[in-house]
Amino acid sequence: MTGLPEVFLRRVGGYGIFFAACVRSTFQHGVRWDRVLEESQKLGVRAFPVLATMAVFVGTNLAIQGHAAFSALGAESLVGMFVALGGVREVCPLLAATMVAAKAGTEMTAQLAVMRTKEQIDALEVMAVDPRAELVTPSLLAIMLVLPALTIISIALALVAATGVAVFQLGLQRGDFVDYMMSNITVFDLAAATLKSVFFGAIIATVSGYFGFYSERGPRGVGQATNQAVVVMCIVCISVNFALTSILYG
Amino acid sequence: MAQALIQPIITLGQLGGFGGRVLRSFVAGRWSGQEFMAQAATVASRCFLPVVLTIGPFGAVIGVQGMVILDLFSAHRLLSSLLSIFMIRELGPVLAAVLVAAQAGSSFAAELGAMRIKEEIDATAVMAVDPIGWHVVPRVLAMALVVPLLTTVANAFGVLGGYAVAVGLYGQSHGVFVAHLAENIGVYDLVASAFKGLVYGLLVGLIATWKGYNASGGAEGVGRAVNDTVVASVMFILVFNYLLSSLLFGSSS
Repeated sequence: MTGLPEVFLRRVGGYGIFFAACVRSTFQHGVRWDRVLEESQKLGVRAFPVLATMAVFVGTNLAIQGHAAFSALGAESLVGMFVALGGVREVCPLLAATMVAAKAGTEMTAQLAVMRTKEQIDALEVMAVDPRAELVTPSLLAIMLVLPALTIISIALALVAATGVAVFQLGLQRGDFVDYMMSNITVFDLAAATLKSVFFGAIIATVSGYFGFYSERGPRGVGQATNQAVVVMCIVCISVNFALTSILYG
Repeated sequence: MAQALIQPIITLGQLGGFGGRVLRSFVAGRWSGQEFMAQAATVASRCFLPVVLTIGPFGAVIGVQGMVILDLFSAHRLLSSLLSIFMIRELGPVLAAVLVAAQAGSSFAAELGAMRIKEEIDATAVMAVDPIGWHVVPRVLAMALVVPLLTTVANAFGVLGGYAVAVGLYGQSHGVFVAHLAENIGVYDLVASAFKGLVYGLLVGLIATWKGYNASGGAEGVGRAVNDTVVASVMFILVFNYLLSSLLFGSSS
């Protein structure tokens, strides 16, 4: 009975306890808003160049594949709709989440794991400072704050890039394309994308916090913790995305 | 500002130089086939579950959105043909490669980084064993072998995820789904999909081993190498995906 199922259950339970402890310590100790702001600024500024590049290339590919799919059906005007629906509802929230998970999430895991290795987390506990309130909560709030903003930015960039490819590479009519694209984006879609990214932000921060916080000591432990954290974040985010899509649009 | 523009070019140059060294060791035959098979087995067994677990829900999401949208045109029957296009041409290769980068790529970077800071790589070189050939080439080759295979697996499970939603949840008939599945795709698309996987596998393998091989600065350095690997891999995959999609499917005819 040992092996994978047991490890899985133990991890899920441990994560639940960690999550509850984070929430409790936040209410007990209050929020260090200066740390939250500092973290959000770091996160936003550092994530932006990478995210912008990715958003541009996702936009280009949405246009190319939309064109490949719909021109086969003789419905080129649907490319704009496809870009709008695919980009705004699904791809951009997930893209921004993946990017923040890969960059900020792994960084947080590595940082906590290094602190664990160097016994700095134990030192905080000895000094009666709650390490979760000090180290995890500010990042959690910062990611939940910044990720929706990054999502909206990446949506804008992806749409612009898609328009560029559609007009200059695929030779579609600009007016038609933009009309079809914009008329298929509603305020509800944007609100749903924002809501999704708040959920993703909470998942990313707590999962990467959990794996860093309870990592094994030493360089191997640091590497292992970051590695596991990214994969778990990806799987959980995509599963939650399915659940949210079913609830919001199904 | 100038620094921000020049840095990517420098990075590309360094990566290219590293790739050249890997190629030289590969051509000179200074690598072990046994090690290659062992690495490939590790990558495949460790990445199989994550790939299946992510691509399934992704296919399901396309199923939900596709059903809702195609409902507007009463064109439910198109779902499976659209699903197979997006899954096989785009999402299968990209998601498989991203997951492999996150799981196996980052662990390659961590392994090599740990070897570097423990001076095991220097020890290999002192023993007159080519460290690139011994540690790096088998890992890169393992990626190049496994990612195309996982891409094919991902394509299948992605379509299955869509099938589960369309047939199980929305009550589309099994026959309609299957009949339209291969309407717009052929063997060419499957081969192109695997080819994309091959390119991404080489990229991820090179980036991961490069970051790990050049790690410095203790445990934090290893963490940084792992982190950089995932970010750089995802970025390279997306850029190459655009180029490859334009090349393979992008004729505007």
